[in-house]
Amino acid sequence: MPRNPVVLTLFALPATLIFLLFFLGPFIYFVVMSFWSVSLFRLSRDFTLVNYLDVYREYGYSVAFTFAIALLIAVIATLLAFGFAYLIRFRAGRLGPTLLFVTLITMFGGYLVKIYAWRTILGTTGILNTGLIELGIIDEPVSWLLYNPGAVVATLTHFLLPFAVLPLYGSLRGISDAQLAAARDLGARPLRMLIDIVLPQCQPGILVAFMLTFFIAAGDYVTPRLVGGTATAMAGNFVENQFITALNAPQSSALAVAILAVSAGTVLLLRAVMRRTLAVR
Amino acid sequence: MTTRFARIVWFVFGAAAVFFMLSPLLLLVLFSFGRNSLASFPMRGVTFDWYRALFANQDFWVAFQNSVVVSLSVGVTSVLVGMLAAFAFARMKKRRAGPLLALLTVPLMMPPLVLALALFSAYAALHIPLSVWTVVPGQVVFIQPFVILVVYARMADFDESVIDSARDLGASPMRAFLTVTLPIIRPTVIGAALIAMALSLDEFIITYYTIGGGLTLPTLVWGMLRRSLDPSINALATLILIGTLGATMLAIRATRYRG
Amino acid sequence: MTASAATAVASRPQADRPPLVRLRGLTKSYGSMVAVKPLDLDIQSGDFYALLGPSGCGKTTLLRMIGGFTEPTAGTVEIDGVDVTRMGPERRPTNMVFQGYGLFPHMTVRQNIAYGLKLAKLPAAEVETRVKEIIGLVRLEQLAERRPDGLSGGQAQRVALARALVMRPRVLLLDEPLAALDLQLRKAMQEELRRIHRSIGGTFVFVTHDQGEAMALANRIAVMDAGACVQEGGPEEIYGAPRTRFISTFIGEANVLPGRRQGGRVTLEAGGSFADAGADEAVVVVVRPEAMALGGNLPQGAVKLTGRLADSVFLGPYVRYRVELPGGGEIILHSQDFALRHRLAVDDTVEVGWTTDVQRVLADR
Repeated sequence: MPRNPVVLTLFALPATLIFLLFFLGPFIYFVVMSFWSVSLFRLSRDFTLVNYLDVYREYGYSVAFTFAIALLIAVIATLLAFGFAYLIRFRAGRLGPTLLFVTLITMFGGYLVKIYAWRTILGTTGILNTGLIELGIIDEPVSWLLYNPGAVVATLTHFLLPFAVLPLYGSLRGISDAQLAAARDLGARPLRMLIDIVLPQCQPGILVAFMLTFFIAAGDYVTPRLVGGTATAMAGNFVENQFITALNAPQSSALAVAILAVSAGTVLLLRAVMRRTLAVR
Repeated sequence: MTTRFARIVWFVFGAAAVFFMLSPLLLLVLFSFGRNSLASFPMRGVTFDWYRALFANQDFWVAFQNSVVVSLSVGVTSVLVGMLAAFAFARMKKRRAGPLLALLTVPLMMPPLVLALALFSAYAALHIPLSVWTVVPGQVVFIQPFVILVVYARMADFDESVIDSARDLGASPMRAFLTVTLPIIRPTVIGAALIAMALSLDEFIITYYTIGGGLTLPTLVWGMLRRSLDPSINALATLILIGTLGATMLAIRATRYRG
Repeated sequence: MTASAATAVASRPQADRPPLVRLRGLTKSYGSMVAVKPLDLDIQSGDFYALLGPSGCGKTTLLRMIGGFTEPTAGTVEIDGVDVTRMGPERRPTNMVFQGYGLFPHMTVRQNIAYGLKLAKLPAAEVETRVKEIIGLVRLEQLAERRPDGLSGGQAQRVALARALVMRPRVLLLDEPLAALDLQLRKAMQEELRRIHRSIGGTFVFVTHDQGEAMALANRIAVMDAGACVQEGGPEEIYGAPRTRFISTFIGEANVLPGRRQGGRVTLEAGGSFADAGADEAVVVVVRPEAMALGGNLPQGAVKLTGRLADSVFLGPYVRYRVELPGGGEIILHSQDFALRHRLAVDDTVEVGWTTDVQRVLADR
């Protein structure tokens, strides 16, 4: 393979062009649009902050709600994923590869399918209700399973769990058995071992897992729409509404930018906190 | 020496996690063969009626055709483009390749809705008519990072001396690439292509916004979900699952991925 | 133990003191696979003790049972008179230097070494003194603030050693301590280990598959084969008087000549015979190459064999000859008679031999 910098640049060019033309360009345009406005269904390209004011005035609650629910999902998914990745790496022995395989095959594929599956499981005539009735545990279907924030949390956690397991497993793989044995030999109990040896080395994995789950959860609109019910509209739903129904792309864009900013801020904050708490004393 | 208690706790946790990950998908497959018109217990026997209904649906064949076209195009494009980029990064210094890699991975972290709306707005502003061909680059932009990461990881532990040997024995750079490098990394490339196609086949949000009036399998699911409780949706969902999970399994086989 | 008994013990010669590590009936099996067969072993305080054997012989499993990382299927581990069989490694007065070292990559050398002391909640001042002392002992002063990924193999090895030694273990366990190092470094580290052992006077137990390393370091060696300890003793004893054919060839080079004992006389398959009391049975005669003599150097009363000189190599301190025997066997011999080499040519018919006092006659099983 060539080492020539010109050739290397040529090699990297197509991917970079696709990135620029179909991501960065449109994304910048989309962000710029948030400073425009719409009047009489026409875009007016004069700079204004009114959309952001509206985000603050009208969507403050929904952004906060979205933030809370995404945080909850990201925390649950990251914790579960950490436990599962730890199990694969250190506890499962010969079953480890099989568990990893399960994680991988559930990762790719089935976004809508998974949401739909949860809807059929949790609905009043769904699998869980009819199953429980069949087993005689309940007499009539319970309706509080579906169309609430809990259903959104369950569905998105299910969808995002494999995405969180992989980076964490990647980090854990770098920790040798000898390191853990050495820590134990030097007097570390399991909890100390986790805090002193495992977590500090997992920092990048934790961050990626959290970031992936948090960003995707915060930006999702299909899940709340299909299993969340009317009371669980997340910011993504308003982004979509403004864009499609109200035909107010600038407002939609401002709201999306606000979610992204809140998400990015959260991740940066988490990183700073982890740096401090997991530092070697 | 693990205590028996810890062992039991880990076993229960592992079993519960696997159940949580797999059971929704398995139930879906199960009920696609159920005689019930709703996915509910008890199951009233096995039937292929929902598949028959699905195959009789004209929209299904349109969506199927579009999905095949898009998946193949996205698979081929993202593998070609991603493989070249991965080669370039593998040859660069880590300090330079790292940030570039991170940059190209940004679309992966983006909520798909933002990607979709941004692309839709850009296409609209440039008066580009929407079709399956506007879907392809939109998918490639977030699928190519997967390919780059997988191939880059393979190239990182590639023994370069085999190429030097080929060159020493008189192969031109191109010939060395075709006869030595490519055969060695072929499983990885095939794996990456399969993963790319699985991701593409399943992609819904970007497709929905950039295809115009067209249909793919996921957008067909979406339509069916909103219209009615058509049980053939179970059959359709199962087919999508088989497509994506099958491709992923083959990909794992091919790359012998271990994390 | 009563006071008078204790005095009596103390006054006895060294080997009769109660052992620091006492293994009794120690066994490990994984399902039907037996890794370590019931085994008794005593390790004295101050010993530099080698567990020597080919890979898969159970030596590492044995070491891990002493350290508490592997739970024995049966038997007991006693350290300093205390039964520690059911204790985890964190409660045993042992520390281990792991194969591959297990250094913590996110900590500096100093933090690695201080880790155990901090866990033991020692006062900061004492932690600092002890860490400093041990860093001096293993000569890591220049590298104390580095992270492990910036260290060479030999340096990482010394950090691992320091991290274990700083805990002042009653027994220091080392799992193939030098296996990852290249030959030259290994020789240097052997010397380093001997120096450290001398200067702190502790008890070291190490696992190795390299007989040269066992000889170079240990004052006692347990040779293991297929999960059992086949011979235990000082290096001279094991080299000079190997108890089995396996030990004779595993430790150093040896000529193993099959033969048969009949009516108090051993006759070798390759010819030659000598008187040897014992039961009538198949035997092997083991002779070290340096105990063999060639041609005119044969001493009086030697057992003699005739063969064809197949190869002679000058190796510096000695000449190595290979003699092919009629019937397919061969003999390796080392000679320091350099003049002889010029009088012999390959393909010459030569006589080799040895006196019966340098040979070992072992039942061939």
